[in-house]
Amino acid sequence: MTSVPRQPWWLGLAVILAGAVCLYASSSLTLSAQYAAIGPGLFVALVGAGLIALGILLLVQMSRGTAFDEQERAADPGMDKGPFLTVLLAAVLPSLLMEPLGLPLTAAVCFMLVARALGSRRALLDLISGLALGSACWFLFGRLGLQLGSFLPIAGV
Amino acid sequence: MDTLSMLLHGFGVALQPMNLMWALIGSVLGTAIGILPGIGPALTIALLLPVTVSVGPVSAFIMFAGVLYGAMYGGSTTAILINTPGEAGSMMTALEGNKMARRGRGAAALATAAIGSFIAGTIATLALTFAAPAVAELAFIFTPADYFALTVMAFTSVAVVMGTSRVRGFISLFLGLALGVIGIDAMTGQPRMTFGMPDLLDGVELTVVLVSVFAVGEILYVASRFRHQNEEIIPIRGKAFMTRDEWKRSWKPWLRGTAIGFPMGAIPGGGSELPTMLSYSLEKNLSKNKQEFGHGAIEGVAGPEAANNAAAAGILVPLLTLGLPTSATAAILLVAFQNYGLQPGPFLFTSNPELIWGLIASLYVGNCMLLVLNLPLVGLWVRLLYIPKPQLYAGILVFAMIGIWGVSGSAFELGMMAGLGVLSYVMRVYGFPIAPLLIGMILVPMAENQLRTALAAGQGNFMVLLHSPIAVSFYIAAALFLAVPWILKRVQR
Repeated sequence: MTSVPRQPWWLGLAVILAGAVCLYASSSLTLSAQYAAIGPGLFVALVGAGLIALGILLLVQMSRGTAFDEQERAADPGMDKGPFLTVLLAAVLPSLLMEPLGLPLTAAVCFMLVARALGSRRALLDLISGLALGSACWFLFGRLGLQLGSFLPIAGV
Repeated sequence: MDTLSMLLHGFGVALQPMNLMWALIGSVLGTAIGILPGIGPALTIALLLPVTVSVGPVSAFIMFAGVLYGAMYGGSTTAILINTPGEAGSMMTALEGNKMARRGRGAAALATAAIGSFIAGTIATLALTFAAPAVAELAFIFTPADYFALTVMAFTSVAVVMGTSRVRGFISLFLGLALGVIGIDAMTGQPRMTFGMPDLLDGVELTVVLVSVFAVGEILYVASRFRHQNEEIIPIRGKAFMTRDEWKRSWKPWLRGTAIGFPMGAIPGGGSELPTMLSYSLEKNLSKNKQEFGHGAIEGVAGPEAANNAAAAGILVPLLTLGLPTSATAAILLVAFQNYGLQPGPFLFTSNPELIWGLIASLYVGNCMLLVLNLPLVGLWVRLLYIPKPQLYAGILVFAMIGIWGVSGSAFELGMMAGLGVLSYVMRVYGFPIAPLLIGMILVPMAENQLRTALAAGQGNFMVLLHSPIAVSFYIAAALFLAVPWILKRVQR
């Protein structure tokens, strides 16, 4: 278990970075139009400037120790890294597995991983449950009109 | 046609057997999901969005209305029996309801919550019936500058009111705005913030954001804190109905809760949390049994539960009449409208009366269904609390994945699901409210288009934004939302 840092400086820096990305993106866009006096870049630039200003404000608040007060931190029991990373893996895997393996098999793997992260120790049963759920959803939602791809693309089914 | 005849027409739509079935499905789903801790109406509707792709808009919205009200009913069961709010609006119910359950008055707490929800829901739906057309008429006189000012007010109020810190609220809002401007600019056709990635040309799909932020973020959070959770379910004991004294102590809080909840729900940022807190404080101050508060006072369940359900109807007023979402759930309903190519606002009342009035009528129908489903069947619903968490959350991830894959068929968007899930997790851990992000993202096209249209009409003169008294009123309201909490803090010091 790791406790949540009291003053996460990286958050302020991340907000400033997001603002800088918006400002950079807006620099390549036309800033003026014929009548409107604003082009597609103005809003993006405003958002970027706003994020940078807010990121700085957040850092200032943290330096004063007021951003994340003790009460909030005390209420948070802290993070269990193992289960978190297992669920993260389950969330990332569909983007890699869905096209070659199809929905039912991907659902089986993700179901088993999430169940394991939350304390289940019956991996095989979870795999079968996930496969059954994925297959049922593939069939039923496919009938409803959702385009869910082939059942097992890698086998051409 | 006048309001009453339109409402009768709406009942004609809502009472069709097929639509009754959708209302029942929505009410059952909403109650079931409201009972499951951490899974509220926003997540439910987000997960259902892709599934309703082949269902007509009238049926889909009748089902969503059932989910919305049902989740409000169901949330109280969890709050009372396991001291965990099923959704945010049941926070205050948990305070007193759980204590009542521990004293053997669980059945009375559940009954006052269900009857209060029914009364508040019915009165608030009546208010919605008559207020919505009037507000919609008013909206016809809005100019683009007024609409822009309205979005500024909505942004400010949502960022200030939701969450514990204004800075974090505004960061959430601006992140939403940044996500909302990704894609091809509607006016000039230029790609924005795409960084050469063709997958981003169509922008970030709202359904992907909603499902990721609610479902994946929630699962990541629950997994990282699961070992610390200790949920003890208190069995329902005591007489099934309320005593004469409990009725006497409940009816006034029901009415006061309704009076607080409906207008607060209609205000941007009001949501369901704020009115329930206000109702609880009011009941605590007015009660003759102040000493019971904190130990199981029935007024502390009756008032907040009524406020909670009245607010659910309140959020529909600005949503249906102005296209303005005032809470995360309203934001998702707006996306649902947009998925059907519909834009809520005054024109929807004239262009699609069957949908609007069918939806309003279905709220009455759903409310009656929920009373029948909740009072006698509460023991059955409680069994849902025994579903093992590992399999429950695993199933939610599978549904989230199916939703995104079904809507987009894109591995890129499945990858985005993981990224947005992590963003949602970080926001949750560090106290950044989610609603401003969603409302920013959803309203950015409206804000930008109205701003650019107003400026085009004013030939580039920014003063055109301040010419209308309506717009100025909205800016003043926005400034008040920003300044009042700060002034109050100073005064308290």
